[in-house]
Amino acid sequence: MSVFMDLNIISSNDKNRLQSIIETAAHLGYSTVAINYVIEPQQKKPEIPKPQSVSDIFDKFPIVQGKSSPIKVLNRLTIVASDASHFRPTNEYKNFDLVAVYPKTEKLFHCLYVFPHLSQAACMTFDVDIICIAVTEKQPFHFKRAPVNGAIDRGVFFEICYAAAIRDNIMRRYTISNAFVLMELCKGKNIIVSSGAERPLELRGPYDIANLGLVFSLSDGDAKAAVSTNCRSVLLHGETRATAFGVVHTMKKPQTPEKQEEETPAPKKAKIELV
Amino acid sequence: MVRFKSRYLLCEVCFSERSSLPLLEDKAIYNTVRAAVNRAHGDYGSAHFNIGVMVKYLNAHTGVVLIRCRKGHYQLIWSALTFITCLENRGQRVPCFFNCLHVGGTIRTCQKFLVKYNRQQLDRMLLDCKTDAEKQEVRRSILSCSLSAVREEEAYEDWSDDNEEI
Repeated sequence: MSVFMDLNIISSNDKNRLQSIIETAAHLGYSTVAINYVIEPQQKKPEIPKPQSVSDIFDKFPIVQGKSSPIKVLNRLTIVASDASHFRPTNEYKNFDLVAVYPKTEKLFHCLYVFPHLSQAACMTFDVDIICIAVTEKQPFHFKRAPVNGAIDRGVFFEICYAAAIRDNIMRRYTISNAFVLMELCKGKNIIVSSGAERPLELRGPYDIANLGLVFSLSDGDAKAAVSTNCRSVLLHGETRATAFGVVHTMKKPQTPEKQEEETPAPKKAKIELV
Repeated sequence: MVRFKSRYLLCEVCFSERSSLPLLEDKAIYNTVRAAVNRAHGDYGSAHFNIGVMVKYLNAHTGVVLIRCRKGHYQLIWSALTFITCLENRGQRVPCFFNCLHVGGTIRTCQKFLVKYNRQQLDRMLLDCKTDAEKQEVRRSILSCSLSAVREEEAYEDWSDDNEEI
């Protein structure tokens, strides 16, 4: 019994709608969902919204179908980028558990993966977890094998959303053809499939999505992994962004009142976790 | 021994409003699935739909449907089910979606799964109960689920299913 995740639920200001989507996801068997805040930065300085605190949505989270634990809700940021300067990892990115980017130009796609360690002005370290593939239009540029393989080596995942395919016939064609193009290049590795749902009726169960993966020409094992193990890898990748090289995780230890009486402040202890 | 093997797709029809449930009819489900397979997979899909696809069981109270397909191309039919957005019933369009719970080789395995699933649903309903009277009702239904009644039904279904295969 593997853990299924849906990492793309479009956020909205309507709390009831979010509640009903999350309840439907719990009923279908998803253990984790991520609320997606999409920004399209127009000016030079993008304004990044602060994510709504997860405990605001529900007092008591609905229990996942088939398990006894409540559903886990995360926050995710997606940046629709057409220029390299749009993506600037600031402290505000740390509020989100996952960061994704939707590249609109080939140059951006290229520099996302080929130069991960160069600190030039144009190609910064694009520290993302997920790269979204266009599903509502014909792919504006062609993928090349080198950046795709570079991304796979770095542990970045490609995401396909299926909500557009459910809404409209023409979108279905674009989704399937773009997915095919991606599969040819990456051979089915590092793919996640998520919903992109705006309403609870656009969600589908995890086994149904694994079957949809067969339509996208994924193999049986890859299709199931796209909904379960690959999503878990994305989550872990998102967690390592807050750590040093994924090994050391620091936490501020709260200062106890007695120590505050001393003249010299107590040193902050770093907690070392062995991963 | 030559036998036509099938796959039985146990699906749940989920609505956004619970009031639409009693309107379910097996003809409506059959027509909706046929239209969806035609739209998703064209003439090839419709041809596979014509041989061996039947709605075997329908429960209007819980929205559970059992659809039978041939083993060779059940994934084709299953993938078309995912694209269904509404049910057409006597001119009314009800928005819904199909959630596949289980794929079995015989009706008996699907029935066993359904019994387990319904028990899980009753347990979940117990958590949602607000008044004591409702809780008592649900507890009574859980206790009254007995397997002996189910076994008699299974034997009958299996017998009628075997007769069809020949």
